[in-house]
Amino acid sequence: MSTVAEQSHTAGGSVLDQVGENIINHVSNTYTSDPAEFHPIIYFPDLFDIAEGHDMFNILYSLSVTKHVLMLWVVFILIACAIIIPVRKYLNQEKAIPSGWMNALESVVKFIRDSIVQPNVGSKHTETWAPIILTFFFFILFANGIGLIPVFDLLGVLNRFLFQVPATNDHNLINLLLHGGATVTGNFNVTAGLATITFFAIMVAGSRTHGFINHWKNLAPHGLAWPVYIILIPIEIIGMFVKPFALTMRLAANMTGGHIAILAILSFMAIFADMFDSTVTGISVALFSIPMATAISGLEIIVVLVQAYVFTLLSAVFIGMAINVHH
Amino acid sequence: MENLHLFGVGLGLGLIVIGAGLGIGRLAAAAAEGIARQPEASDKITGAVNLPLFLLEGVAILGEVFALLIVLMK
Repeated sequence: MSTVAEQSHTAGGSVLDQVGENIINHVSNTYTSDPAEFHPIIYFPDLFDIAEGHDMFNILYSLSVTKHVLMLWVVFILIACAIIIPVRKYLNQEKAIPSGWMNALESVVKFIRDSIVQPNVGSKHTETWAPIILTFFFFILFANGIGLIPVFDLLGVLNRFLFQVPATNDHNLINLLLHGGATVTGNFNVTAGLATITFFAIMVAGSRTHGFINHWKNLAPHGLAWPVYIILIPIEIIGMFVKPFALTMRLAANMTGGHIAILAILSFMAIFADMFDSTVTGISVALFSIPMATAISGLEIIVVLVQAYVFTLLSAVFIGMAINVHH
Repeated sequence: MENLHLFGVGLGLGLIVIGAGLGIGRLAAAAAEGIARQPEASDKITGAVNLPLFLLEGVAILGEVFALLIVLMK
């Protein structure tokens, strides 16, 4: 603990500032407000000069591969290995008898189809909408889950003590990956992308069942006195956008929140050691904060499962609302 | 006085917790009562409670996000 305190004194900033910066670094993408300090994992220049002249927006729009993009690739490879390839193999089998991993997979698929999609969307459309809901579920589950595995933090420890790379080296690949075990779904842009798919899926679902014009007519109930519509129609249009917005915020904030809570509780060690300027205080706070962080990690495992379930359930409910209009 | 926004955020977070806690508590109480009266309907009751529970959670989380934004953006 004393080393942490000493480092901060030599660096000049207070421990509290460093702790805050550390937490933000952990949960955010390869982010900085200063373009000179922007070190993506793989650097690509801007293709179309999208945001020339705005340093801040250059970072946002540049096509460089950042921490979260790399994690997206990792999630993709994992899903391909764990879901897509086994399922393809199983479908091409001569006898359709599931075994081993496929048994587990099949029970999950059956659960999603029978208790999420079918009651909300209706038996007639289950086969149409089960695939997209299943895709949501597996992607979110894997992306959430991989964020809980502190693989990059482990790599960072190896990097620091085995390969002797200093933490200040911004061009070292593992240092760029650090603060990782990044949760892709903790990034608002990723969840916004997922919610956009839901947004259009709702429209497609309504248009396929009722026709394009009728889908928009169905937004507000029929046969009310005309003054009611003055209030009702704007509310329904706002509601159309609020649904995916709430989906975005719920998933991203839940995944970010857990990481912030764990890190904040672990940071108490450094903060208290600095405050009372003694190593013993830091170690005794560790007796409290490490079990606490472990407990929250356990809670996070539940949150990971529940959030994947919630996103798929709400998507299914919204799609079902567009299909089965009861007014 | 320059850190007054932190005071507001703390107060707001407390209010969020009160609101969400009350809402979830009422939902859980009603569900438990319903299941106690009619155990065979427990699946239906759980299904009916789930959706408003998650919507409620979404509102609380939104409040927390905005609290965080106030702290970060000042």
